[in-house]
Amino acid sequence: MQNNRENWGSKIGVILAVAGSAVGLGNFLRFPVQAATNGGGAFIIPYLIAFLLLGIPLAWMEWTLGRYAGRQGYGTAPSTLHIIFGKKKRWAKHLGSIGLLPPIFIVFYYVFIQSWILAFAYYSLTGKLMEVTAQGSAAVTQFFGDFIMLKTCVGPIPVAILFFLITFACNMVVLAFGVRKGIERVNKICMPILLILGIILVVRVLTLPNIGKGLAFMWNPNFSELANPKVWMAAAGQVFFTMSLGMGIIWCYASYLKPKEDLVLSSLTASATNGFAEIIIGGTVVIPIAVIIAGANIEECAKLGTFGLGFQTMPYVFGTLPLGGVLQTVWFALLFFAGITSAISIIQPLISFCEDDLKFSRRKSVTTISTITFIGGLTAIFGLAAGTVDELDFWGGTFLLVVFGAIQALVFSFILGRQKVKTDDGSEDNEAFALMNEGSQLKLPRFFRPIIQYVCPAYLIILLVSFTLTDGLPLITLSNIPADAKVTFLGSEFSQLYFTWGFRGFLLLLVVLLNVAIAYAWRKGGTAERGRSSGIQKMPIGNSDETTTKEA
Amino acid sequence: MDAEFTTGGLVFMLTSWAAIIGLCAFCFAKVFKKK
Repeated sequence: MQNNRENWGSKIGVILAVAGSAVGLGNFLRFPVQAATNGGGAFIIPYLIAFLLLGIPLAWMEWTLGRYAGRQGYGTAPSTLHIIFGKKKRWAKHLGSIGLLPPIFIVFYYVFIQSWILAFAYYSLTGKLMEVTAQGSAAVTQFFGDFIMLKTCVGPIPVAILFFLITFACNMVVLAFGVRKGIERVNKICMPILLILGIILVVRVLTLPNIGKGLAFMWNPNFSELANPKVWMAAAGQVFFTMSLGMGIIWCYASYLKPKEDLVLSSLTASATNGFAEIIIGGTVVIPIAVIIAGANIEECAKLGTFGLGFQTMPYVFGTLPLGGVLQTVWFALLFFAGITSAISIIQPLISFCEDDLKFSRRKSVTTISTITFIGGLTAIFGLAAGTVDELDFWGGTFLLVVFGAIQALVFSFILGRQKVKTDDGSEDNEAFALMNEGSQLKLPRFFRPIIQYVCPAYLIILLVSFTLTDGLPLITLSNIPADAKVTFLGSEFSQLYFTWGFRGFLLLLVVLLNVAIAYAWRKGGTAERGRSSGIQKMPIGNSDETTTKEA
Repeated sequence: MDAEFTTGGLVFMLTSWAAIIGLCAFCFAKVFKKK
């Protein structure tokens, strides 16, 4: 059980880190739009059902798979699946590569978006944003557009690139300090501040005159919407995306748990913290204030999307209130703390892969991942107008999450869960639940077992199929793009269809390179292969063929 | 735009708040409870 990997310093540290990973723009901007456009207050019914049947169970499964991985000295899916399926199933580690793709694709654009938040926090603090706000909402829109399209410059250098470099360096410095001194410390500082800033905004919004009209848009229930299957799918999708599920992040974070550390309670607490940020902060601030101050209707809010609401509507709305500059700063500070805790969590699985599978030192791992993500980040910066961010978000931030979530649920329920093992108290249990309950301060309630084993995987497969057949298919086949549509990339004009297929070729190349790295790490006699043997011998419970052979 | 906040809306908002605050209180009380 002993290996050289780090552990979390405290239980609250890992809880805040997982919650910090989950709390992001989706809580404050995506949730309110989803709720308001899908039945208002009634949306909370399918949302809470999805939270109970999909979110919490899948989080528990991912934590458990992470604990299993950590026992072997690994933190990502390729190595874990290789061990779970046994060495004869060579494809298993390559199946696990799906678990590393979301972090790779997301980090390419996420750091750029994180840098917008830092820039707007700076502009709020210096009063620049208030000057723009005074010129009206169109000026804010123009200001934001010029910034992200690299038209705002200091000398010859676009300001957006300067902020990207600062943000990129901040993330990597935190990660270079490691799990306990870097990630845990930052989350212990940022998460309480984030929640306090959120509560300040909630109190301010609730004390505005006529706020009832704004809250009506968000919370008045429209029960007829509950008969619409799309509302139920929207709720399931929101729960899935908001909890950082299917990204390999929880898997990686849980791999750093101490032996015999509680898992069930920690996971539930992190999920509850995320729910607090979503329902109370997200459900109170954005839509009500946008409706009563900007006079926006809900269709306009939905059309603006996450970035339009966050970077155009909200600064303008706050700017029109007394102490507008302070409220703008609080808003962007809130988003910044949410952004940094999420960004480092997205990068850590990649560093874990370098450290644990490729056996790189931490410095070499951080340098390698910095180089790759910097190059990838350039595709987001210069390809934003050409749709590269949309493409990365579709594959890394949407489609593959559901695919990998389904894989996790099936592996947990039908591979890890099929073996019987002896637990600490001498009773017999299946390996998956024995691992989940080990050291638990809160035992998994028995009624959750069938939900985890059957309901959650079925829920995920339905979500995957229905998403693919409705929203996913036009995006996968690019049938939503007109044949004559053009995009501009690095000053040249391209057919949007050809450009997007070309960019997909680049992403496919990354997939191939990742699998080459996995094959290299796990080649016969390689460092990862040797590490695996020693890990298994020390494992107290397990079901791989190697364990059985050694014990026999 | 002119819709008034209904009792149903208030009930849904406060019930959701109570549910999530209750879950947080339950969890954090257990986390910080000395063994």
